[in-house]
Amino acid sequence: MYSKDMVDLLKEIMAVDFVVYELALFLDTHPNDRRALEDHNNFAMKSRQLREMFERKYGPLILDSVSEFPYQYINNPWPWEIRY
Amino acid sequence: MWYYVKKLQYPANVARTDLGMAKFLFAQYGGPDSELSASIRYLTQRYTMPIPQAKALLTDIGTEELAHWEIIGTLIYKLTDGATPEQMRRAGLGDHFAQHDNALYPHDAAGVPWTAAYIQATGDPIADLHENLAAEQKARATYEHLISLTDDPGVIATLAFLREREIVHFQRFGEALMLVKEYMDKPKHVF
Amino acid sequence: MSNSENEVKMQNLSVEYRLGEAYIPFQSYGKIFDPRTALMNGTLFPELYRPYRVRAEL
Repeated sequence: MYSKDMVDLLKEIMAVDFVVYELALFLDTHPNDRRALEDHNNFAMKSRQLREMFERKYGPLILDSVSEFPYQYINNPWPWEIRY
Repeated sequence: MWYYVKKLQYPANVARTDLGMAKFLFAQYGGPDSELSASIRYLTQRYTMPIPQAKALLTDIGTEELAHWEIIGTLIYKLTDGATPEQMRRAGLGDHFAQHDNALYPHDAAGVPWTAAYIQATGDPIADLHENLAAEQKARATYEHLISLTDDPGVIATLAFLREREIVHFQRFGEALMLVKEYMDKPKHVF
Repeated sequence: MSNSENEVKMQNLSVEYRLGEAYIPFQSYGKIFDPRTALMNGTLFPELYRPYRVRAEL
């Protein structure tokens, strides 16, 4: 099972990661836009902080994150199983 | 290479089991203008893009489309969760059940399996980028049809998200087209 | 932002406008939605946000 706190933090990560992705697509065709790049870098740092916080509490979101024993990555829930 | 991140791009919820809507959503799971077609199309075309902006954009949008494929898969999974064979049959998913049980399989809303014939990679970046602009419009239209077929607020919100992504991708492919034109208009690249 | 480096570059985009070709205006970087609103809307950019309205029955 999973907690409401976990889902809320996951949704916060989803929102920040969405901004990073949207800015990355913008930068692909506007590589010289300084202000967009600054925003991208700031949101990317925010994303890293949130992911670290999430993984400390609830386990890895990605297979190259450090895990406690036993391997935590395989544990529930998987993205399609969560009620958001 | 790719790494999987264990999260959806968008928090996709459904209100209740709805096998009829699940059947329709296969249009975007394995149909001609599906998220699967989009991803494979862009990730295939990127090798012959002439400028770094276009190589990056096709890689990144192609990757995002895989995340959209996962969102459609999640909607279908949630809408069919726990359905019995008899319910599947009554919803028009008897054919699907015979071959796939409750598994997801990349076919369209009518059960036609996905094929690479849905995509093209001509090696001509202008032609390929125009295909991508058209693909985004066809997917947008399909999302509007799908939205008209449901009253589930979670499904509608998720489809509205995916529809809006088509509009943003269209803009980006348009910008890539302009940059590629500029590159090819330079005398040394006329061919 | 009215005079980002990118916009200056875009004004200099040396594409010649001709018949028989498609052209798309470049977006310039302006206001953005907050992250939660961006995710709910499906875009970070207010100028690209075109929500679908079901056509009214006449």
